[in-house]
Amino acid sequence: MSDLAPLLSLRGIGKSYGPVVAVREVDLDIFAGEVVAICGDNGAGKSSLIKVISGAEEPTAGAMSMRGEPVSFGSPHDALEHGVATIYQDLALAPRLSIAQNVFMGSELTKPVLLPFLRVLDKKRMIAESQRYLSQLSAAVTDMTRPVERLSGGQRQAVAISRALRWNAEVIIMDEPTAALGVKESALVLDLIRKLKADGRTVILISHNMRDVVALADRVVIMGAGRKYVDRPIGDLKADDIAHMIMAGNARAA
Amino acid sequence: MGGFDLREVIGRYGTAIAGLVLVLFFLLFAPNFASTMNIINVLKDTSFLAILALGFALAFTVAELDLSIAEMASLAAVVCGWMVHSQYPPAAAVGAALAVGIVLGSLNGYGVTVLRIPSLIMTLGTAAIAKGLAFMITQGVAFTGRWPVSFTGLARGYTFGLPNLVLWMTGATLFAWLLVKWTRTGAHMVATGEADEAARLAGIATARMKRIGLLLAGVFAGLMAALLAANLSSAAPNMAGDYLLYAIAAVLLGMTMFEPGKPNIPGTVFAALVLKVLGNGLVLLGAPYYIQDIVLGVIIIGSVAFSASAMKKAAFKV
Repeated sequence: MSDLAPLLSLRGIGKSYGPVVAVREVDLDIFAGEVVAICGDNGAGKSSLIKVISGAEEPTAGAMSMRGEPVSFGSPHDALEHGVATIYQDLALAPRLSIAQNVFMGSELTKPVLLPFLRVLDKKRMIAESQRYLSQLSAAVTDMTRPVERLSGGQRQAVAISRALRWNAEVIIMDEPTAALGVKESALVLDLIRKLKADGRTVILISHNMRDVVALADRVVIMGAGRKYVDRPIGDLKADDIAHMIMAGNARAA
Repeated sequence: MGGFDLREVIGRYGTAIAGLVLVLFFLLFAPNFASTMNIINVLKDTSFLAILALGFALAFTVAELDLSIAEMASLAAVVCGWMVHSQYPPAAAVGAALAVGIVLGSLNGYGVTVLRIPSLIMTLGTAAIAKGLAFMITQGVAFTGRWPVSFTGLARGYTFGLPNLVLWMTGATLFAWLLVKWTRTGAHMVATGEADEAARLAGIATARMKRIGLLLAGVFAGLMAALLAANLSSAAPNMAGDYLLYAIAAVLLGMTMFEPGKPNIPGTVFAALVLKVLGNGLVLLGAPYYIQDIVLGVIIIGSVAFSASAMKKAAFKV
């Protein structure tokens, strides 16, 4: 079902911080509806690459395009408006605010009162729609007025993903989504990613957990010393195989 | 929520109920507390404090401290008083008081968001400047006289049988509450105050929200100043200075009720009333004047300790 043209395309992307080159000449095509895992050791350049794709930082070389149109993201919000959402660990939620307030943060729904130009928050609709997003993700939360700090780690991820759905993001970047979670919570998050894929969304997954990668990804991209040196379908790769490829990459980079 | 959770109720309304008990106590035991005259006086007195505290609460909503509210109010009162004294129309005098608030509130916002000076420092600086200017304008004395009723009536008059001051307080409260609870701008202010980084990532113009919060603190100070000058028929350069601690206490005590741990509008106004009732009741019971300051300090510290433990976390990062 994937079109031949990539949804998101990177050409010759480079990112340097002064004299330090974090990413060099990376070409990467992401197709609609696929789950792409980006792996690599610490310092391999995957975080820097992700920062470029998510709009957190601008590349120092190369160009990006979406559906063939050149794009450049000046900020994460800019990327969001282009349909690229990043799920940050905890950073992007306001713990003491309610689920609904978090899902609709920055894009609140309003309704007119008395006069057409007098608009007030449409809390009822925001609660109902938050509920819809969360049930879509099969997250077992019912009270949308509950503060996010009272949720489990997995449920928080569901809230963060709901916000991405609210923006109707096509590409969802998940940076180490299970790193801080227990076994049960991790399973919930893996399920969330499957739901996103089933829903036709594109997921870019950064993970140190090779088992997650093998279980979820259609394709694996391995980075080392700022370069992309593996880009292949998962096929029948095992978790160990990926770990070996990462180590081989390190050896080559050294 | 469903179900009745006693801890939740106490956390939310505990201090509000304590405040009501306090009012009942004075009603029963303080001589003359229950007289209509006294109750109206307490309510009028509360109005000044509540309006000023609402401004502080709005700045605190965007996680900024505005320690300049009282001195801004003094300067605004002096400017307003000078205009009335010089026989400018009352509307112009009130406008000038608000303008002082707008200018200094914007200055605070500029310092905090553009120059990135912590609000604690920025507003202390503004306070000192406002204080100096107030003394400069008056040369240390107060403007007093027989001011026109069209001006003094703003505070002393009655509309539909209700003291105008109480109506001003009600209006200011409604405005602040509607803003914070029912508008997008309010939602953005709350998000900015709760989680700056998250709000920024969600595309909220956080710096603008901070400027709005500090601007409103100035506007509310200007309004309070005009009413204070109208009520007293005079304007002195130190007339609002004592209100700072009371306003802070009102906001902090208000944070122990309705929405524990968060600066909130109903809490602020109710706490202002409780503080004024307490002060008035203590006086009527014959307590020496300095007791009030001690009680005030205990309330400030106690409120924060209470909220912090109620939230089971130190949410008071400033």
